[in-house]
Amino acid sequence: MPSIHIPTTLRRFTENERSIAVSGASVGEALQAFEQRYPKAAGQICDEKGDLKSFIAVFVNDTDIRMLGGKDTPLRENDELHIIPAMAGG
Amino acid sequence: MENLKGTDEFGLTELDHAIYERQIRLPGFGPEGQARLKNATVLISRVGGLGGTAAMMMARAGVGRLVLAHDGVIEPENLNRMQLAFRKDLGRPRTEVFRETLQMINPDLEVVTCTENVSDANARELFEGVDLVIDGAPLFEERRAMNKEAVRRGVPLVMAAMFALEGYLTVIEPGQTPCLECLYPETPPYWTIDVFPAIAASPVVIATLGTMEGIKLLTGCGEVLRNRLLYFDLTDNSFRQLKVSRRPDCHVCGHLPWPEAVAAASPVLAAPTPLSSI
Repeated sequence: MPSIHIPTTLRRFTENERSIAVSGASVGEALQAFEQRYPKAAGQICDEKGDLKSFIAVFVNDTDIRMLGGKDTPLRENDELHIIPAMAGG
Repeated sequence: MENLKGTDEFGLTELDHAIYERQIRLPGFGPEGQARLKNATVLISRVGGLGGTAAMMMARAGVGRLVLAHDGVIEPENLNRMQLAFRKDLGRPRTEVFRETLQMINPDLEVVTCTENVSDANARELFEGVDLVIDGAPLFEERRAMNKEAVRRGVPLVMAAMFALEGYLTVIEPGQTPCLECLYPETPPYWTIDVFPAIAASPVVIATLGTMEGIKLLTGCGEVLRNRLLYFDLTDNSFRQLKVSRRPDCHVCGHLPWPEAVAAASPVLAAPTPLSSI
């Protein structure tokens, strides 16, 4: 199954799990599966229309999904997703 | 050979050569690279755990002039990560303390200070004569002000940031790489100056990597982190380089010409999925 790397800001919703395996044939389906598994995280990544929030970037195997097919980007068995929210700490 | 001012053909003194001999030996650096550092002006804001570390390493490396912007006085909570401040400095104006420490490290360094943080109101003035910007600000409005002015002037900016044990870094070269607004057009609603946990090692790691990118940009040595976001998580020591691209509908840099080489190599890179359809 594809895996999702969870950023620190979302780990409070995943009982501090840093990486989880999810089912899904596309990025959108994988994110949906993530939110179903962790309902408290619903609304943290996508807005009410289902669009990715613009302070969050999602990468599949190191490539920004904007350079692929957005949320329709297909996923294969061992693909890795990284969710990286904007940071400004220093 | 030294001229009457005691400098050689690169503008370096005997003491410069003695101090910087080891870095002058770096591949692609040489006395030319050292001279470029000596003649460079770097703007850093703010000058905390990240920016202060970058300032310290730029001073050590022999940069000629630093412009530092940071308001307020040294507070106890600064001392766990600000490399330029000490307990004796509590209550003293931050920029005064930073200047003092930096000039202890490098008495030849010119330090210009501003006791305000960067904003849309002062960015133009602060960028005057600046060759490179290192962004260590803890608020997005300050980062966006620097990004906007860097794009307007075509000045490279090292964007480095952290949250807890995570961090990321990229080099923004207006027109050649994505800018901050391309990557993150909106600010997380939960972000405030107090939101991020920090232990010195985390901002220091990202500042160290960011300073090296700045030195590479100024001297021409090495390969600069362009169109890649270096992301790390010290929780498990994972480091990744992630491919990023400009956003054609970016309201800050979208008007700049697209590099022909990028467009020819990859139509996808030249026209990534617009934000509205993600």
